[in-house]
Amino acid sequence: MTATTESTGSAKPMRRRDKSTRKSVILADKAADTIIRVGGLGVILAVFGIMAYLVSVVVPLLGGGDVTDRIEHAMPAGHGPAVFEQVDDYRTMIAALSPDGAISVVHIATGTPLAAPTFDFAGGTVTTIGHTIANGDVAFGFADGKVRFGRLGFEAKILPANAVPAGLRGLDDHDLTDGKSVFRKVPGGQVRQLSLVATLDPAVEVSPGNAIRAIDLRIGGTVERPTRAFVTLDAVGGIKLSLSESRQNMMTGKVTLSTQSSTLPPLAGDLTGAQVLLTQKADQVYVAEKGGRIHRFDTRDFQKPLLAETVRLLAAGVELTKLGFLIGEQSLVAGGSDGSVSVFFRLPRDGVQSTDGRAMVLAHKLDPQKNAIVGIAPSQRSRLFVTADAGGGIWLRHSTSEQVLLKLRLPEGAGLITGLSLSPREDAIIAVTDHGRYYGFGIQAPHPETTWKSIFGKVWYEGYDAPNYTWQSSSGNDSFEPKLSLIPLIFGTIKAAFYSLLFAVPIAIGAAIYTSEFVHPRVRAVVKPTMEMMASLPSVVLGFIAALILAPIVETWISAVILAFIALPLGLLIAAHLWQMVPLATAMRYGGLPKFLLMFVAVLVSGVVAYALGPWFERLIFAGDLKAWAAGQIGSDVPFMALILTPIGFIAAAWVLDRFAPTLFKAGGRSHDRLTLAVQDVLRWGVLLVLGFLVALALAGILTAVGITARGGIVDTYVQRNTLVVGFAMGFAVIPIVYTIAEDALNAVPEHLRAASLGCGASPWQTAIWVILPTAASGVFAAVMVGLGRAVGETMIVVMAAGNTPVLEWNLFSGLRALSANIAVELPEAVKDSTLFRMLFLAALVLFVMTFVINTISEIVRQRFRKRAAQL
Amino acid sequence: MSSLQDTVNPQDASSYDSAAGVHRREAVVYPAARGEPKLWSLGGTLAFGVLMITGFLILVLWNGIATFWPKPIAVVTLADGKIVAGEQTREELFKPTADQLAKLTPQLRAVIAKDDGYATRRLYRTGNFDFYGDDSKWVADYDVAKVDYPRDMVLAERREWGPFVGRLKAVVLDGVERPVTDPSEGWVRDALGQAQARLAQIRKLERDEIGGINHKLEQERLALRRVLLKSGADSAAYGEAQAKFAAREAELKKQYEALSAEAQALKGRNERDRIILTEVGGAEKSLPLSVIVRAYDANDIGLGAKLAVYGSRWAEFLTDEPREANTEGGVMPAIFGTFAMTVLLSLIVAPFGVLTALYLREYAKQGRIVAFVRISVNNLAGVPSIVYGVFGLGFFAYILGGSIDRLFFPEYLPNPTFGTGGLLWAALTLAIMTVPVVIVATEEALAAVPRSMREGSLACGASKWQTIRMIVLPRAMPGIMTGLILAMARGAGEVAPLMLVGVVKLAPELPIDGYFPFVHLERSFMHLGFHIFDVGFQSRNSEAGKPMVFVTTLLLIALIAIMNATAITIRNRLKKKFAGSQF
Repeated sequence: MTATTESTGSAKPMRRRDKSTRKSVILADKAADTIIRVGGLGVILAVFGIMAYLVSVVVPLLGGGDVTDRIEHAMPAGHGPAVFEQVDDYRTMIAALSPDGAISVVHIATGTPLAAPTFDFAGGTVTTIGHTIANGDVAFGFADGKVRFGRLGFEAKILPANAVPAGLRGLDDHDLTDGKSVFRKVPGGQVRQLSLVATLDPAVEVSPGNAIRAIDLRIGGTVERPTRAFVTLDAVGGIKLSLSESRQNMMTGKVTLSTQSSTLPPLAGDLTGAQVLLTQKADQVYVAEKGGRIHRFDTRDFQKPLLAETVRLLAAGVELTKLGFLIGEQSLVAGGSDGSVSVFFRLPRDGVQSTDGRAMVLAHKLDPQKNAIVGIAPSQRSRLFVTADAGGGIWLRHSTSEQVLLKLRLPEGAGLITGLSLSPREDAIIAVTDHGRYYGFGIQAPHPETTWKSIFGKVWYEGYDAPNYTWQSSSGNDSFEPKLSLIPLIFGTIKAAFYSLLFAVPIAIGAAIYTSEFVHPRVRAVVKPTMEMMASLPSVVLGFIAALILAPIVETWISAVILAFIALPLGLLIAAHLWQMVPLATAMRYGGLPKFLLMFVAVLVSGVVAYALGPWFERLIFAGDLKAWAAGQIGSDVPFMALILTPIGFIAAAWVLDRFAPTLFKAGGRSHDRLTLAVQDVLRWGVLLVLGFLVALALAGILTAVGITARGGIVDTYVQRNTLVVGFAMGFAVIPIVYTIAEDALNAVPEHLRAASLGCGASPWQTAIWVILPTAASGVFAAVMVGLGRAVGETMIVVMAAGNTPVLEWNLFSGLRALSANIAVELPEAVKDSTLFRMLFLAALVLFVMTFVINTISEIVRQRFRKRAAQL
Repeated sequence: MSSLQDTVNPQDASSYDSAAGVHRREAVVYPAARGEPKLWSLGGTLAFGVLMITGFLILVLWNGIATFWPKPIAVVTLADGKIVAGEQTREELFKPTADQLAKLTPQLRAVIAKDDGYATRRLYRTGNFDFYGDDSKWVADYDVAKVDYPRDMVLAERREWGPFVGRLKAVVLDGVERPVTDPSEGWVRDALGQAQARLAQIRKLERDEIGGINHKLEQERLALRRVLLKSGADSAAYGEAQAKFAAREAELKKQYEALSAEAQALKGRNERDRIILTEVGGAEKSLPLSVIVRAYDANDIGLGAKLAVYGSRWAEFLTDEPREANTEGGVMPAIFGTFAMTVLLSLIVAPFGVLTALYLREYAKQGRIVAFVRISVNNLAGVPSIVYGVFGLGFFAYILGGSIDRLFFPEYLPNPTFGTGGLLWAALTLAIMTVPVVIVATEEALAAVPRSMREGSLACGASKWQTIRMIVLPRAMPGIMTGLILAMARGAGEVAPLMLVGVVKLAPELPIDGYFPFVHLERSFMHLGFHIFDVGFQSRNSEAGKPMVFVTTLLLIALIAIMNATAITIRNRLKKKFAGSQF
């Protein structure tokens, strides 16, 4: 295409020139073409890939659970129906216990039976079994009123590869057995040996002659001196709480068991088929009647147990078929004969009929199953649990998020589920049926605690009074439940952005208008780059200065700082009114730079005045101590309310004056003397100010009387790193951006509009405010939106200066925790692909979407403005 | 029009020139029209903004510049007889608490009450952390009985425990004690110089030579592991490699022991040269001379000596490594890290940014899609930096880095090589963040090249690429450079994303060193911005770190200001160069 053509007009034979383009040029052109296209498109794709990637990380949060594999095998024959079963940490083995003491151990994956000991009950008949949530501690109640304790657990040993005994037979691809233990290769060339541990302690006499109907136990104390608390219900309705402590004699090594019991107040009612539950500290005992009533005993005083309350948990006519704790024992799960599953918290409530001021409160009503609930198996590490119904349905649920993660069903004819357990690592559910079969489901539910509702809605966490929004991702406590609501963080972001824009936008736009319309181009050439220099200050520097320099100063001089917000505008207005009195000739002569410099003086003088009058102001408005005042300890709300209402009062007074006495301070309008006019103006202004304040005072009195106050709302308890400081520091980041864009927009207004307006006799002020600003309004709006985008995403300033407390209050004097700061603080510590990790990605996505929306709006508005400006 | 008005209402005229018979209206502008108060409000906001930025810069400049200046040491005798000695760092007004007030005499209380409950207090940097458990102390003015500046007070900066403030008692040279009070005496300085030289030698031995041996040993170990992973534990190759490794290890160990003995000897020598200092309370401290970085008699030195101390502190700051949890010493690794990251960033961002802009402006069909892409690119310039950090951590470090580790560095696993934050990922993350800046700037620059030039070039027979390369790009270069430097400036000042993708508070090794492959892009690095955050917020006490933070702040701002200034200069110069060549 680029071959040059040459006209060969003359007839004379010419040397032919090579007209073809050199190959290298064509090649280079093609290469450049391809590289630029691929590179360009690649960058654009990469840029859009970010969002896709963030979404891909976040999506699993909202997923439920998956079944990875299913198995079904028969239990070894010859055993009675299992009443208690345990799965090991690596879901290799299952151990099931029959009421006659026989233990069957099976290799889960293959169903191969392994050798196991038998509990020798010496002829006793087990009437009931109780066990702990974790660790496999179990208690047996006997028909003769005796109680025995045991443990059915697992022990894992890591062996070097050469210490593995010979003669093992293979079970499947990776497991070997010697008939009793299972050996599995683990990384590092080692082998893990997993064996059953089954121990049985001697019998303890609890209620002689009366069969034990229900029992529950908890293990406490230390490893050296374990204590065992257990509660028993016997055939005649006697409920006993016992504590037993085993002590080892240092000399003989003999273990002595000392047991003391306390009889709980007797209950009226039918206790057949009742269940008992005990808390870890043995301070609460629950007795659940089959009929649905539940009796709660307060056993904090072991010697004097009290019946704290009796309540009906389920609807009338519904039997309580299963009751159990979740880990942490703050949640009580009740399963009903109608398939309902509800979670109750024990919470302090006013005016309840209980001895300890607490009541059982229905916190979560979960989706019901079709048939009566026959099994509840809690997780050992989270609020996950499994419920089984009489129809063979097995549901994996999460208490806090109220979601059902998996709905499994046993095949027809599988029989009734008698044993149900969730493996310690939450990766398998095992159900044993009365037909002597067991069913295993390998499951995956990596993020059970998050749903749309739990992330963005109110969630009722354990121990909380009511549902609320909370962000608390970690704690030192084991049974702690992460609270991952993004609302406090989004709120923090909005709060920081709102207050900083409240401070920055008036300054930025005011400065932009003044720069664009009222200063000499030479002044502008100095002032604009100075302001823009602010934009290049690294935010970490701003954060450092704000938190370590500014915050202590603001704390010491807080009343002066607040006064400055009043003194600065007031000082400027006074200066302006004084300037009006200057003779016209002087005013014209010094109207340029000197006047601008005088404004600097006015600002500085006002600042100094605010500094000097700070203590006086504090006495006047804040009863002498702002912090105590803000915390609501001293003083009255009225003065401060009047202060913030004064602008409204001023506007109202001005409106009234204009409407009803328009000539009051314009009587001299016939006079053309500049000084007279100026004096009239200042009088009018002064009167309006006083009137405005009086109106505001009256209004403040009324509002305070009806209970609408600033305290507890926008001002409350003072902390050093607060929103005021953040707003000021963020001002440094936001002002230059808004200023530059707004100034450019104002400057882009065509000169002929300005000239026309001035030519019609409008003053520069009138031109600026009625002609230029409306024309550039969309550009100025776009500037504000860009500033908002910056404020929303700013990270280091909020990390350093905002105190990072996730509170939901508009208090100007308290800190906040913004999305961005939260990511910066928590992501380096978050485990890859954990729920917190994905939540932080979600926080980033929310931030991304927020700024994307804000920026798109501003971009569209700006483009519209450009088009309009071009048409003018 | 005015005459019409006059005939309607002749009395209204303000003045009437009867002689000329002409109405002359006076130029009256009512105050409301002039809007003077509102004007002043607008001007006031501008003044406020300018004051904000100048105040800020003055604060940073002043604190940054003054930090290293040696201050006199005040010895303050308190009313209760206690003595506090130290450099006064600042003073402020404060409100004494009720408890504090209760301990005062009624006269003092009256004075404070008269000042609205405020009193003055001064912060003294007392040093001697090992004695006091703190290195600065607030002293309220009402507590002070007497302030002196004794000429024999000495400030000794130490490698451990921060500075020592007190008096010099003696210097012990090779076991012989010689009393001396002035640290600027020639022989004391010589001894100090020798001790420091020995220390430098020890460090060289330990870091370079022993470090080199350790590096070799590690390489051998990894080579062995590579063989193991490749051919298995039972293979002949592995057995062979094992034998080779054992031989090599023994050899290296021997070398190591020789060097270590040499270092030990030097250390023993340094232990014998000591300095004996006494604190104002009279407690004595004997320290090895090599622990002292510098010592001077703060109240007795002239301007020249002060300048020397000032200069040596700056030199240390710029060229040395940090000490004492980054609150003392230098920031050389951070400067280096910032520099390396910024250079890498610009190497990545320049080609991609320019390519994209070229595509958008010269190759893509101008239509809806390109307009949409352009809005999105503009938009991405406004996406918070932390979001890019999150992306960088998840995608670059975990996904890309994790894959690279599995493919190329299996012998290091489970320790990540590229699968964690590092220089490369940090630069890539910031490149994605700043690429919109370059795209926008380049596009604008490309758009500014007149169409006639392109057409002229094409008409002369140049290919499209030739046109772009010879005609368009050179003319757009000022704009591209500006965009690039602005992107670098933004990247250099950004901290939040770096906290996620590879910045650490203390990097043991620089990303460039003498070991193959010399440039280690996978290493984590130090950064001036993060240094500010770390020292200011995460160190033992922020008061001790404050001077350091101010100087680092000054350095960072200066770096960014220089970059911005360069951008402007280049733009102007190139503009001038091409100004004459416009058609």
